[in-house]
Amino acid sequence: MLRYTGNRLQQSVVLLFLASVVCFTLVVSSPGNVAVLIAELRGMIGSPGYVEQIEQEIGLNKPLLIRYADWLGNVIQGDFGISYRTGHDVNADIMNRITVTGMLVAGGAVVATVASLVLGFIGAFWPGGITDRAVRGFALVGASTPTFFVGALVIFMFAVILNLVPAVGFNGLKSWILPWITVAVLPAAVLSRVVRVGLEEAMASPYVLTAKSKGLSRFRIMFRDALPNITPIYINALGTQIGLMTAAAIIVEPLFAWQGMGDYFLNGVRFRDFMVVQACLLLFLTFFIVVNLVVDLTVMATDPRIRRQRSGA
Amino acid sequence: MQHDATLKVDNLTVDLLTSKTAVRPVDGVSYSVRKGECLAIVGESGSGKTVMNFAPLGLMPAGVSTELSGSVKFNGRELIGLEDGELRHIRGKSIGFIFQDPMSALNPVRRIGRQIAEMAELHLGLSPSAAEARALELIKLVGIPDPEARLRQYPHELSGGLRQRVVIAIALAGEPKLLIADEPTTALDVTVQAQILRLLKDLRKRLDMAMILITHDMGVVASSADDIVVMYAARAVERGPVEEVLTQPRHPYTRALINAIPKSSDTVGTRFRGLSGMPPILGAPNPGCAFAPRCDLAVAECRHTRPLMSQATHSTVRFACPIANTESEIHGTGTCS
Repeated sequence: MLRYTGNRLQQSVVLLFLASVVCFTLVVSSPGNVAVLIAELRGMIGSPGYVEQIEQEIGLNKPLLIRYADWLGNVIQGDFGISYRTGHDVNADIMNRITVTGMLVAGGAVVATVASLVLGFIGAFWPGGITDRAVRGFALVGASTPTFFVGALVIFMFAVILNLVPAVGFNGLKSWILPWITVAVLPAAVLSRVVRVGLEEAMASPYVLTAKSKGLSRFRIMFRDALPNITPIYINALGTQIGLMTAAAIIVEPLFAWQGMGDYFLNGVRFRDFMVVQACLLLFLTFFIVVNLVVDLTVMATDPRIRRQRSGA
Repeated sequence: MQHDATLKVDNLTVDLLTSKTAVRPVDGVSYSVRKGECLAIVGESGSGKTVMNFAPLGLMPAGVSTELSGSVKFNGRELIGLEDGELRHIRGKSIGFIFQDPMSALNPVRRIGRQIAEMAELHLGLSPSAAEARALELIKLVGIPDPEARLRQYPHELSGGLRQRVVIAIALAGEPKLLIADEPTTALDVTVQAQILRLLKDLRKRLDMAMILITHDMGVVASSADDIVVMYAARAVERGPVEEVLTQPRHPYTRALINAIPKSSDTVGTRFRGLSGMPPILGAPNPGCAFAPRCDLAVAECRHTRPLMSQATHSTVRFACPIANTESEIHGTGTCS
């Protein structure tokens, strides 16, 4: 088990390095000259030589490899640089915003997990029934509705018509509910199918026949015998969905006027503030890689067949 | 003689209906098994021997609706028509089951100790710790070495033979009166087969249980069973004490089946004496004898009239072939070849 963990950690470090290369390459190859934009922002676009001066100032005239090495060296030391647009320290901005996004993704993940387990279980428990069909309908609609539309819909329903919760803002549980629901609908839909299909498959397996022959109730068999057997596939799917939620944050945060990483990234892109864009991209990718690592280690820890094999070797 | 039977099955018919198909895998079969005795049910794949024992106890896959008629009495209590909730209290507690493939019959992600102990919790009302102690007792009873360590292990850490012993321990946990073993040795290698059969025989005697052994292995039948029912295409064709049926098979199918077993007197290179033809498809109704198309003795009548089980002359064996029955009357004995 230790050896496996070590291998996975190594892989993750390599992946992180590749991710940094991708981040940097994508940003430097995007069109537009940052120096011109900065000159515009400072109202000095007309003055001759000013653009060159800025290029000198922020190191745009250096060779690409040197620029990459400078950036990576700073990033490794935890310094993401300074926003060209606002002049703010990117680190400080991120520290302010990362909790907002963390709140969104964590809350969304909890909602999606609970909803998908309950819905999938209900569907599998009464297969072909009205609840099963309703759950399947939700899964189909939920998986094919764009997140911004879901967001608009829930705002309209719960904030405008029913007036239960505030439409926008980030203060207290009440204001978090709608963003959580918005970000959780798609993952909940996808994951409820994973649970529903997985349980149906597991319930047809020979060990379930054994459990039936023991005289156990159907609920208990599904809960205690079938459900633990779909844990690996469920955790895998959940990891992917949590990773994708960071992408959804880019849409959901502006919708609810949350100032999180998604919002930050979007602003960065809009103004070609590439220190911000690079930082956000790298953090998103890091999050993906870490989630995947956690998923693999959790799956290993929950499946005795894998856990014992690795420790025995 | 019949009233003290642990399980008494009378004229049982099972129809399986899915959304598209209807089959009758069991058609008017009767048998019984008494306390301390072992009944073997033999027949080829698809002859209905498993369905016959599982369907009345509610052990059919989901999505198939099962229709039962006839009578299945367990210790005098009629099982047909019982709700699944009531059947659940009989399954596991009064009737234990052993399955064909121990590799897949155990839950791969749960500890062996829990899988045995939950039976004792459910059916004997024991506390979790008392149930664990009971699991330990059972695992010793079925002869698993190093029992304490085994309880904490997972199924994949055990060999096939040990896993089958665990399955047996689970079946015994509710202190059943009847054990139904569905080909318990088919998935095991030959030396382990003998051990498991010996264990089952020993447990049956010690715990004074009735046992139904579903198999297609005549060697298993000869070594373990008291009585035998031979199934062909959803029907019972012959029924009686093992020693009589095996040494003097009367029904043409039983004769062919036993004749097909390779003998030590066969010279090297002898062809297998298989049955020609194919077993019938169960979906199509058959007014006559299902074996008639493959039978040497068949006459025109066999294809139209269904032969009933009737007592053989000079014997307690019953079989469903009027032609062979009169023939044996003429020759005075039921021996063949």
